[in-house]
Amino acid sequence: MSKNPTSHTPIDVGDGAAIPNKNDAGLFTAWRIAFFGAIFVSLYLAFGKSDPYYEIFKFVPDGILVTFKVTLGAILLATCIGLITGLGRISGNRFINGAASLYVEVIRGIPLLVQIFYIYYALGRFVKIPDMLSAIIAMAVCYGAYMGEVFRAGIQSIPKGQMEAALSLGMSRGQAMRQVILPQAFKVVLPPIGNEFIALLKDSSLVSILAVSDLLRRGREYASETFSYFETYTVIALIYLVMTLFFSKLIGIMEERLNAGK
Amino acid sequence: MKLLRTLTATAALLAALSLTAFAAPKSIKVATDATWPPMEMVDTNKQIVGYDIDFLKAVAKEAGVAAVIKNTAWDGIFAGLDAGQYDAIISSVTITKERQAKYDFTEPYTSIGQILVVPKTNKTAKVIADLKGKKVGAQIGTTGAMEIKKVAGVELKTYDEIGLAFEDMAAGRIFGVVCDEPVAAHFALQKKEYKDKFKIVGKSFTKEAYGIVVKKGNKDLVALLNKGIKAVKAKKLDTKIHTKWVK
Repeated sequence: MSKNPTSHTPIDVGDGAAIPNKNDAGLFTAWRIAFFGAIFVSLYLAFGKSDPYYEIFKFVPDGILVTFKVTLGAILLATCIGLITGLGRISGNRFINGAASLYVEVIRGIPLLVQIFYIYYALGRFVKIPDMLSAIIAMAVCYGAYMGEVFRAGIQSIPKGQMEAALSLGMSRGQAMRQVILPQAFKVVLPPIGNEFIALLKDSSLVSILAVSDLLRRGREYASETFSYFETYTVIALIYLVMTLFFSKLIGIMEERLNAGK
Repeated sequence: MKLLRTLTATAALLAALSLTAFAAPKSIKVATDATWPPMEMVDTNKQIVGYDIDFLKAVAKEAGVAAVIKNTAWDGIFAGLDAGQYDAIISSVTITKERQAKYDFTEPYTSIGQILVVPKTNKTAKVIADLKGKKVGAQIGTTGAMEIKKVAGVELKTYDEIGLAFEDMAAGRIFGVVCDEPVAAHFALQKKEYKDKFKIVGKSFTKEAYGIVVKKGNKDLVALLNKGIKAVKAKKLDTKIHTKWVK
């Protein structure tokens, strides 16, 4: 007896993944173990084991501040560069489009460390840029290219109908872009910008090569005088870990809020 | 049972033999940070040359071992010795109390002092303290960096290589560099890019001696190298090397 193919029971098409991750729920999530574990280990080392960990924790805080300054400055500047580049990449004007695409291609093809050296030492011969500003500019120029791609993808993810609707309401193209497309695109790009922020925070350790006294440089200074390499780099790694985990959680919460508002 | 006994006896004999064979090393690996001209540097033919290199070759020859030079970044050069990546360091390492607590040194082989280099436009500075409120550079983890740290009100900036500190001074980001006197002379008096820009001020203000560094407790190697150093000094080879590199 053959079944009638048209009268089968409907398949339940629910939300969620085909293979849900059941382990990442409950009290002991990976994030919690990592974050609170790192904080606990730090406190234990600083106050439980004390020598030389306490000294190291005392030596590096101004480096954390410098790391933050570089990261924040660079992310702000990179967002501006990224927005301009992203708009350039979708522009109909062949010259603007070409310039933006060229910028992205060139920057993505050069290692960040080389760019940092280039902007600091090679350009230092011609323009006198202070060290902190050089570090920020070098990071921003690099990340601006990646942010450009984020913005381009974000703008292109807005359905065509939105533009058509705006135009049919009598808006000009620019007006439609500013008032309809970009506000929606910003919502889309916020989480990836958050991820870029975390990547930038980690990559900012590269500016220690410029004698900018960031967290890593402070650690290296301590280690090179006391020879306690193992202890120093353990502390440095823990501090970076706590920082990145903290921000990734913040971005996760932000993402949830944005999705809830849909 | 008998077989087992013979086997263990043979094994023990072999072990004893191999121990005596390896007691005197045929070749030692020595690390240097070749960014410290004229003491150790990479020349245009990509060869590692300099005072320390010639000196080490002479010492090794007198001690009857072969020495292999390994170019290693200064920041971490001690950690590499701890990790056993090489047997010794010859890299203009000043013998200090802090370093002696962690490592063993050969007897001193030459003496130098720290000195200050400033831009020619600076007419007044004579010592580090004259640069109060300004940034002064040195290579990370060197005695020069420690000397700057001692002076209150001066901001220390550390560099991975001393050449980068001089380049930063040329770019106007820092206002002084402190390093070993022969190195200062090389950069400020001989390098054509810097000759018209920098000058050495005052006299060297520390008394330091270089030694070859080995892992704490490696008495055999210290003895071997000291034997070589004594022979080199007795033959006055060190003065020859000195006039060749340090003008």
